[in-house]
Parts: sequence; C-alpha cells; structure tokens
Amino acid sequence: MAQVELRNIRKSFGATEVIRGVDLSIDKGEFVVFVGPSGCGKSTILRLISGLESVSSGQILFDGKDMTRTPPSKRQLAMVFQSYALFPHLTVAENIGFGLSLAKTPKAEITRRVTEVAKTLQLDSLLDRTPRQLSGGQRQRVAIGRSIIRNPKVFLFDEPLSNLDAALRVSMRLEIARLHRELGDVTMIYVTHDQIEAMTLADRIVVLNGGRIEQVGTPMDIYENPANTFVAGFVGAPSMNFIRCRVDTDGAARFGPATISPARPHEVSGDALLGIRPEHLALVESGDGTFDAEIELVERLGAESLVYLRAPFLEKPITVRTGGKLGLSERQAVGVLVDLTNLHVFSPASPAPKPEH
Amino acid sequence: MESQNRLWRVLLLALPILVFSVLVIWPLLSSFYYSFTNWNGFNRDYEFLGLRNFAKIWTDRLFFNAIVNTTIWMAAALVLPTLTGLFLALLLDRQVRGARIFKTVFYLPICLSAIVVGQIWIWIYQPDWGLLNTFVKLAGNPDFNYAWLARPDSALFAVIVAWSWQQTGLSMVIYLAGLTSIPSEMLEVCEIEGATAWQRIRRVVIPLLTPSTVVVVALSMINSLKGFDILYIMTGGGPFNSSDTLAMHMYNESFKKYLMGYGSAISVVLFLIALTIIGVYFRQLRKVDEIYG
Ligand SMILES: Nc1ncnc2c1ncn2[C@@H]1O[C@H](COP(=O)(O)OP(=O)(O)O)[C@@H](O)[C@H]1O
Ligand SMILES: [Mg+2]
Repeated sequence: MAQVELRNIRKSFGATEVIRGVDLSIDKGEFVVFVGPSGCGKSTILRLISGLESVSSGQILFDGKDMTRTPPSKRQLAMVFQSYALFPHLTVAENIGFGLSLAKTPKAEITRRVTEVAKTLQLDSLLDRTPRQLSGGQRQRVAIGRSIIRNPKVFLFDEPLSNLDAALRVSMRLEIARLHRELGDVTMIYVTHDQIEAMTLADRIVVLNGGRIEQVGTPMDIYENPANTFVAGFVGAPSMNFIRCRVDTDGAARFGPATISPARPHEVSGDALLGIRPEHLALVESGDGTFDAEIELVERLGAESLVYLRAPFLEKPITVRTGGKLGLSERQAVGVLVDLTNLHVFSPASPAPKPEH
Repeated sequence: MESQNRLWRVLLLALPILVFSVLVIWPLLSSFYYSFTNWNGFNRDYEFLGLRNFAKIWTDRLFFNAIVNTTIWMAAALVLPTLTGLFLALLLDRQVRGARIFKTVFYLPICLSAIVVGQIWIWIYQPDWGLLNTFVKLAGNPDFNYAWLARPDSALFAVIVAWSWQQTGLSMVIYLAGLTSIPSEMLEVCEIEGATAWQRIRRVVIPLLTPSTVVVVALSMINSLKGFDILYIMTGGGPFNSSDTLAMHMYNESFKKYLMGYGSAISVVLFLIALTIIGVYFRQLRKVDEIYG
C-alpha cells in the first residue's frame, strides 16, 4: 500500500489555480524529489501534503487512510524548511528536543534522545550553543535533528540546501542520502529546483510545471526518455539542443543539408523538434561530420569544454560538450557528428504526458 | 555593510541630539544650578544653600510618600498596559472580522491628550452619575456612590487604570508589528510538531516578541516617569497626598509653595533615579541583541 497518495489534488489561491490536478503514489521508504522551475507549485504541493494548506479539491491518503482534513500534527510527518526556522531563543539541544518537550516527554528521556540524534548528525559538541552561533550547514543539521527526533514516517524537505554555498551543498546532499539509508523505512519527499540534487538523491523524480506533473520516473529514465520538450530541456545541464526538422515517412529527420535516422523508434512525423544532448555531439574535421557549422564561442571549464556552434539552418546556437584541451578557436569551421543512438524526436507541440499511477 | 550601517546610525542620531541639547540639556543644567539655591521662582536675589536642599529631602515625609507612590505607579504602568497590549495584539493578529476596527478603537486613546483622557475618566468615576457607579447600581447596589478619586485608598489606582487604558493602544500596536515580523515557518513548525495554542504563545511567540517587549517596556518606563499631567488633572496628587508622585511633589513644592530651589533638588533626585533605571535597562538590552539582533 502506498505511504502517501495524492488523488487529483487541486489548489487555488483566490482565482488562480496553482496546483491543477496532481495524481501521485509514493511508496514507503521511497525518496521522491519534486523538481520544476520557480513558482511551479513545488512548495505548495509539500504544504498540501503536510496539511499546512488545505486542498481545494482532491484527496490525500496516508497508508490508505483519508487524511485530507487531518491537522498537520496528526499526520506523523516532519518538515525541514529552506530558512531552517530554528528558534533563536533556544539552544541547539532545546531546538532538537522541541517536539518531545511539547508532548511532555520526561526530561531524562528527552536528553537521551537529543544526545542520540545529535550524535547521528555530528552535533554533539554544539548542543549548548544558540542558532546564531552556528554556520549554515550546522543550522540545517539542527533543523533536520528537530525533525527526526519524533520518528516521523514521512519527511518533507522544502529546498533545504538552497541557502548553503556550493561546497556545503554537496556535503549536505551526501548527508541527506546517508540519513535516508540509515533511517530505514522513512519516506522522503524533497523539493528542489536544483536538478543535480534531484538526479543524485531521488529514487523517483517528479517533474512539475505550472502546477501539473510533466513526468514521473527514475532519474535515468527521466534523463534518457524525457516525455516532452519541457522535461527534456529542464533536466540535464547544459540543456538539450533542439533543432527544427521535418520527419519523413521512413522516420528520418531532415534539417538544412543533414538527414539523420534516429536509432530508436518514434512515432512523430511531419514538423518536429530533434532533441540532442550536448554530450551526444562530437566535433570532427569540417566535411567529415553529419553537418558543418561555425564555432561561435568556446567555454573552457577545465575537465571539459562547452562549444557553441551556429549554422544558417539553426535557429539558435547549439551546444557541444567535449574534452577539456582542444585547439579550437572562434569562427573556425568544424564538422558535427551526431550520436544516432541518443536522439529524441518531439512533435513541436509536445503533448502533456499522462501522469503515472 | 556594517560600517554603512554605523554611518546611518550616526546621521540619524545627529538631529535628535541637537534638539535634545537645546530642549533638555539646558533646562537640566539650570535645575542642577538652582537646586543649590533658595530661589523662589521670581526674584533674582537668591542665596546659595550648598547641599541644604538635599539634606531637607531626607527629612521630608512627603518625599518618601511620593517615592512609594511613584514605585507603585511605575510598576503598574509597566505591567498593566504591557500585558493588556500583548493580549489584544494576540487576539487581533488573526484575520478575524472587524479586527481592523478594534485595532483602531484600541489605538485611539493614544491620540488623545492626557487632559481629555483625564476628563473622560473623571466622568466615568463620578460618584452620582458616572459610568462605573451606574453599572454598580444597576448590578443591584442602588445606594452605591463611592467617590473613587476622592478617597485616599483608591485615588492612585483609579488614575493607574485610566493611564493603562490610554497606554494599552501603544503597546498593542508595537506588539502587532512584532507579530508580523515572526517568520511564518516558525509558527508552522509549532503546527507540525503539535503545539497547543498556549504552548505556541508561551514557548515561541512571546520569546520571539522580546525585541518588541524591549521597546514597549522602554516606552512605558519613560512615559510613566513623565506621567504627571493625568495625575494633575484627575487628583492633583490628593487626597491627602495619596496620589502624590515625585513629579507631582516636585511641582507642588516649586509652583505651589514657590520653593523653586527645593523643587529643583527633587527634580535632580528624580533625574538620577530615572538615569539609573534606564542605565540598568539598556545594559540588559545587549543580551537581547545577542540572541535576536
Ligand atoms: N499563500 C499564497 N497565496 C497566494 N498565492 C500563492 C500562495 N502561495 C503560493 N502562491 C503562488 O503559487 C505559485 C506556486 O508557489 P510555490 O508553490 O511557492 O512555488 P515553488 O515552490 O515551486 O517556487 C506561485 O505563483 C505563488 O505566487
Ligand atoms: Mg518554493
């Protein structure tokens, strides 16, 4: 039975519908990450699951029981906020033990549990400090400590790492992954706009756009088989290249001087968009590739370089991801080789995908 | 950031300090000067008495009476409007119907002068037809005509009630502002962790309102130390000096008995007391700043 089930939930604030019919089942112990651009309704979905906001219509089930109208405290869940939301007047120990002390747990028991949790999160030496005396990463660990101490069944994270600098973000990401392993059967629902967090943490990714689910799947599934141009463009950095083309009855795509036959079967014909990830293009000598183009700009990132190309038949420059040390210069003519096994063909008005059940 | 902040603080403080010097420092120095004389307030031919005015304070029975009354007055003025203001703010903070109207109504007395407030309450306390006694009469006590302001037992407390009624609006507004600055996530944590309304208020809201409380207390303290006009209107310090505060006593000695020198000596003592209280208070502020700043 699903741990959390959303049945056609909708939410409007005044006249604007922010969540427009979301269906989703989340299994026990699963790590589900919601990604999507800012303002697409990620936080709102999390707040609906937590009960901090109530749905306009639809149902929310926990363990098969209808919890749509149950207050947040009765849902056995914990929430970690981007702003940490630690109480400035309480010490680290008091912040972590906050929920237990509200429930009038005996002092000795609170101390024991706080010590235990603090050890898991490497906060043992900081228990007497106040939040102001902590770094960002430490604060977020305290916030996580406050949420795990009551042994919730479901964890909700709302962009917990967005306030941290890049290096800390990486280490906290690993920490959260470790926590999910160590806590065993807890369900984690995690919201982020950072696709790297989504790719690395998730068992399943839910791509959200404009209050609707665009696609649900494992990270690699989403990466390799994006259901539409939105998902294809949103997941992966740098973004997938889209080239306008015409698809013949034999399935071959034509644009400019090039004709290429995608290795994978597809059902699109007529006007189409060809999707090629930057890592599936290679640079060769002019004339040796699928088509020729001119280098507009080279960005050298050290381990790799991003090469931006233009050609008269391309609406926008396309990006090629290639090795770090290259003797390439701007305005140079090059050939572009397309990896036919990793092509995506989308119809220009990519239909909204069916939500997965 | 920090140094820019500091520059702003200095600039914003410069003008008030200038005004303060002209309007406060000068009279203050004059008071100090006259406290060593027997000036009567009119004649130019006064003598220097050394510390004799200050010695007289120690033998002045009414001075100690005024100290006791001032303590009661300040304690009540500190506690009552703070608590009622906090209570009203918590009540009116939610988006309940009519909250706006109530906020305005409770804030209104602050806009009235002490003279008006005093007069309103003189009517309320009026023994024969005042609002208060009318209620008591209607409640089944037809012969009741207690003169609240004319009895030594009740005069001071009757004025304290009037004063608190006026000051409540001020603390309410400051607390309402404080409430809006509490991050909503902190209240949501309470909701998720299952805090009762009382736990939320006592453990989270009131502590997080500390910066507002600091302001409310400072203002209440300063206002109550200055609180002279409403006493002057309602009781004039009477009956039998039962509502005589230091400020009232100083006024009576200076302007009723024409002992300007002695009155100045009392004002110097009052000033030193105020300075001590405020000094102690502002030292405490640093701790608050460390936590919430
Ligand atoms: N309480 C609210 N009242 C009105 N509009 C809201 C409220 N909360 C969110 N919204 C709107 O709903 C949309 C989705 O918000 P949100 O869920 O916070 O997006 P995300 O977390 O994906 O950035 C935004 O357009 C936002 O302005
Ligand atoms: Mg958000």
